[in-house]
Amino acid sequence: MKNKNKKGLYLPVDAKINDVIDLTPDVKLYKLRKPQSFFYSPGQFVMASIWGAGEVPISITSTSEIHQDIELCIRKAGFVTSALHRLNPGDSIGIRGPLGNRFPFEDAYGKDVLFIAGGIGIAPLRSLINLVIEKRKNFGKIALIYGSKTPTEVLFMPETQNWKENGIDLTLTIDVECKEWECSFGLVTEHINRQSISFESGYAFICGPHVMINAAMHDLSLLGMPAENIITTIEAHMKCGVGKCGHCYSDGRYVCTDGPVFSYAEIREFGMASP
Amino acid sequence: MKDEFVLSKTNLPYWLRQLRKKADLIGPLRSLNGDIIFSSIVNIHEMILDCPASIPSPKEFLFPQKEEMYKFSQKGVNTLNDNGKRIIFGVRSCDISAIALLDRFYGGLLEDDFYMSRRRNTCFISIACNNPDPTCFCSGLGTGPALKTGFDLQFTDLGDRYLVQAGSREGLRMINGFMHLFLLPEKADRDDQYEVLLSSQSIFEKRITLENVRQKILAGKVPDSFWESVASRCFECGGCVYECPLCTCFNVIDWKEKDNKGTRMRLWDTCMFKGFTKMAGNVLPAGKKIMRTKRWYFHKLLYYPEQFGRFGCVGCGRCTITCPGRIDIATIANKLD
Ligand SMILES: Cc1cc2nc3c(=O)[nH]c(=O)nc-3n(C[C@H](O)[C@H](O)[C@H](O)COP(=O)(O)OP(=O)(O)OC[C@H]3O[C@@H](n4cnc5c(N)ncnc54)[C@H](O)[C@@H]3O)c2cc1C
Ligand code: SF4
Ligand code: SF4
Ligand code: FES
Repeated sequence: MKNKNKKGLYLPVDAKINDVIDLTPDVKLYKLRKPQSFFYSPGQFVMASIWGAGEVPISITSTSEIHQDIELCIRKAGFVTSALHRLNPGDSIGIRGPLGNRFPFEDAYGKDVLFIAGGIGIAPLRSLINLVIEKRKNFGKIALIYGSKTPTEVLFMPETQNWKENGIDLTLTIDVECKEWECSFGLVTEHINRQSISFESGYAFICGPHVMINAAMHDLSLLGMPAENIITTIEAHMKCGVGKCGHCYSDGRYVCTDGPVFSYAEIREFGMASP
Repeated sequence: MKDEFVLSKTNLPYWLRQLRKKADLIGPLRSLNGDIIFSSIVNIHEMILDCPASIPSPKEFLFPQKEEMYKFSQKGVNTLNDNGKRIIFGVRSCDISAIALLDRFYGGLLEDDFYMSRRRNTCFISIACNNPDPTCFCSGLGTGPALKTGFDLQFTDLGDRYLVQAGSREGLRMINGFMHLFLLPEKADRDDQYEVLLSSQSIFEKRITLENVRQKILAGKVPDSFWESVASRCFECGGCVYECPLCTCFNVIDWKEKDNKGTRMRLWDTCMFKGFTKMAGNVLPAGKKIMRTKRWYFHKLLYYPEQFGRFGCVGCGRCTITCPGRIDIATIANKLD
């Protein structure tokens, strides 16, 4: 991860918003014009910046092999994300990146792959899911368990159907039962052992809330998946994204530069703080 | 080219006045409340060269407590790199050692342009410590009282004169134009230097080997109950972090004036504060005090050595002076060793 921005480590470049799509009442998808020589991989993130409001880390949800634009899927969670939500097509978002490491998906070539997403965690995984579909023949069975709280909070609904048609074994689940939902119910972890992938040799990529990640990693491990094959992203408070401000530091690792992608083996070895 | 010289004390003010023509001269002064602070020197004779450790450390000239990074307005964005030339005189060896490590932290592949533009324009003239404070423990860490590298110039006080050693091209440049003020060292000068440093070594009150502490932690011989008792004494004032020449954490904030005009700046921050890691939805990865105390200690004692091959402590003793809970690194190391 070289600092290609010769103008300075912390200076964002303006990326024009080509389109904004409301995914749910509090999540929007931003399509940004890609700045020159911006090469990224699934798992990486940008610092998204508005002068006067601040900067926050946001995963890149698009796939460079497929999408023309850089796509960011942003949930309104506080001060900066609310300011981002007020922007419209034609406005610009300052971005710095791509930052962080990426999903080691080549390791999973020839193997089964299980994706587990909870809520907004689908955003970073979507980048990888679309790439895996693009390189479908390199992988064995592919399955996705995607959990949301309620039916209205499901992101990328049409796209998930598209994934299904491309041979992904899809489990859409919501936390509590309700009438207008035709898919599954219950927490994502309740669906893990029903998957028909090989747990002993397969790979899992997990993104979501801390509690869900921890439970899923633990369950997969019990089902025989090697800790090295269980891959997740760690969320941390970030101010700089480049290993300087110390906010994301935990047990000798900077989540922003050493991560955000870590294996269960690494997390256990370093005892990385997960609340 | 020779890199060792002798400067008579009577020539020092004149030489510094010449240097000051091209750069801001900064040195140790006594502040109104009695602390030693580094600040711009107006009257050279007011500098206090045989002083206790400055509070805060001279890191603030490379990484200021508050640094304006960008000015933004409707018209665009200006980067506010500080390119002012500075010569900092009278810096202690431990602080020079800390800066050598800061250079590696801020440099490298992801170079911090704000730190680096200050660094490139700053020369450091260190003074070997003849009279270490009771709180100092650099000698066990190899970060003082005198150094082999890291300084631009190193002064050793020999009574009526200084032995001056150049450690960089910038250091030599400060002497070059003024060779008529300097002599070349003779055997007597070297003998005196040797003796001064030897007697300095024997003044240290604290004998601390952080390596022993590191080994104990690595061997799992320090139970959490120990860290629990340390944490229970922490007031979360952040003093240890602010005064430490090696602590680098910062926060970034946007200061908006009106319309869309404003400044993005960074401020010192500290990992001892509870909110330091707070995420949206009030998720707190290091919510318990023991986690934060351990993180500070483990970073300095385990992970700095892993990443840089050096401890994240240069033995300056500032946390000992500052910490109201008496859980500074020297006290803790003494308990564990
Ligand atoms: C690697 C990474 C990728 C992320 N990807 C996405 C994404 O694709 N979509 C999305 O909606 N959100 C994502 N987040 C979370 C997002 O960064 C936070 O929701 C956001 O920082 C909240 O900022 P705020 O100012 O709106 O909230 P406030 O609560 O007002 O936050 C104040 C400050 O705290 C910090 N902060 C608060 N919450 C977080 C958090 N969860 N993570 C990191 N810093 C935080 C920020 O520095 C922020 O400026 C990601 C976080 C990380 C670390
Ligand atoms: S940890 Fe304490 S003694 Fe060590 S360098 Fe920092 S302030 Fe000085
Ligand atoms: S100086 Fe002492 S009391 Fe204050 S934050 Fe540091 S360890 Fe805690
Ligand atoms: S976000 Fe600043 S060090 Fe990781």
